[in-house]
Amino acid sequence: MSGPAAGGATGGERGANGTAVRVHDLSLAYGGGPVLEGVDFSLAAGESLCVLGPNGGGKTTLLRALTGELAALRGSADVAGRPAYLAQTERTRLDFPVSALDVALMGSLANGRWWLPARRSDRAAARAALARVGLEDRAGVRFGELSGGQRQRVLLARALVQDAAVLLLDEPLAGVDPASAERIATLFAELRDEGRTLLVSTHDVDSARDFDRVLCLNRRQVAFGEPASVLTRTALEQTYGSEIVVLEDEGGAGPVRAIAVQHHAH
Amino acid sequence: MILDYICDVSTLASLPSPLDLVELPYMRTALAELTLLAVAGGLLGAWIVLRRLAFFAHAVGTATFPGLVIADATGFSATVAGLAVALGYASGVERAGRSGRDPGDAATALALVAALGIGIVLASDVFESGAAVDRLLFGTALGLGGEDLWVAAGAAALALAGTALLGRAWTAAGFDAGGAPALGLPAHAADLALLVLIAVAAVAALPAVGALLVASLFVVPAAVARLLTESVGGLLGASVATAVVQGALGLYASLWLDVPPGPAVAVAGASLYALVAVATATRSTGGRPTALEAT
Repeated sequence: MSGPAAGGATGGERGANGTAVRVHDLSLAYGGGPVLEGVDFSLAAGESLCVLGPNGGGKTTLLRALTGELAALRGSADVAGRPAYLAQTERTRLDFPVSALDVALMGSLANGRWWLPARRSDRAAARAALARVGLEDRAGVRFGELSGGQRQRVLLARALVQDAAVLLLDEPLAGVDPASAERIATLFAELRDEGRTLLVSTHDVDSARDFDRVLCLNRRQVAFGEPASVLTRTALEQTYGSEIVVLEDEGGAGPVRAIAVQHHAH
Repeated sequence: MILDYICDVSTLASLPSPLDLVELPYMRTALAELTLLAVAGGLLGAWIVLRRLAFFAHAVGTATFPGLVIADATGFSATVAGLAVALGYASGVERAGRSGRDPGDAATALALVAALGIGIVLASDVFESGAAVDRLLFGTALGLGGEDLWVAAGAAALALAGTALLGRAWTAAGFDAGGAPALGLPAHAADLALLVLIAVAAVAALPAVGALLVASLFVVPAAVARLLTESVGGLLGASVATAVVQGALGLYASLWLDVPPGPAVAVAGASLYALVAVATATRSTGGRPTALEAT
């Protein structure tokens, strides 16, 4: 298995041929049998990918493999540089005595000198990142006291400080207020314009149209490609089974409008 | 026996001078020992409370008890015996955690009870050294010597160095375990270092507070501080300050009532916690953990 490229490299780094993410015949497991099989795709620098799938379909598992946290059972997952990872916010400890600024500042640990105190320039970068997500006036507020959308924006600020070429975002819009969602969508567009590669997992099938590529997972790779060719009734039914509700179908093999009905709200 | 003292009016009348803590040589040694341990226990306690390792800290101290009984009866070094057991216990916990099979509270409780039971049986039936049990479980202020001070100073220095070098990694990994590898943090190594530091500091605290009351130095001050502060730096500072006050109060009480310092320090810490919890409960907690959650 070859994990994400090691080393203290930060932003700006790209694969030699412009490939930012390359996943080849990847199978993943948590000790037992595989929970995700046959994943095979690659993304060029600056491309955005929407990862669709039901709960337990392997979205988070794939992202954890790309961070290097989870070793491959088979195949490989390579990322240019060290990716920034935004876990679902419920995986963070809301009782921790850390402020929004403290969390943004954690991004500077990725410079490879985590044993040294934060420098003045690190603090300036953290403040600038908070300003960019529109939370400069909340810098001193404890992370756990922020709203869900604000917490997600603080974690985005941490990723901005990390200055990673590839960003992995696990359901960044789940439980987020509309104002924050709009702000986050704008930021995504800016990050893509800067040539960064975004992998976003979501339950929002409709939002997948706005991405360069769509990957459908249901314990295996169901489909990968441009939204127009992937968001078909057949592929979505294979991905979500009975959880899919088709809203608009132009007939034939063309793209459809649909929503996934999650049986386990969370 | 404490009841006898409380009923004896002359004991209350003969309240010792606080200056005795620095004027009596053995008390001065005990005060220095408890202050050094306050630095180690206060700093590591902050990480213990943040990382929810309170039960581990308690268990790693108690686990040393059978080792201490054997060392005491055979004349072997108590520090070396305690260290061997504590490090063995810590590495077992780390290995279980890494393989995804968290030993869990039930296994920790089992280890605690087994350690106490085996220690008592060894002391009473095998070595017939029952008289040492009190001292090994609850510590002593009288028997402290230069070697104990050096060991405590070493633990304090290690806790300071660990906090300075690994504090940012411990905070980031504790706050968001999933995000730590993506930040390039050696999360597993940092976690192992924390468990080892706790084990070493717990062994350093054994002569003063005994195997059963290690948690009074490593958990209680940080739990008190957690009620008072909203930043990691504040927690570290307040935790050390609380530990120093708790140690001095406990030592004074042990001088007055002629009890071992371990129980006296534990009672002083519990009293401080109760006072602070009541005082802060009247304010709006503002999302801060309540007294029960903080532990």
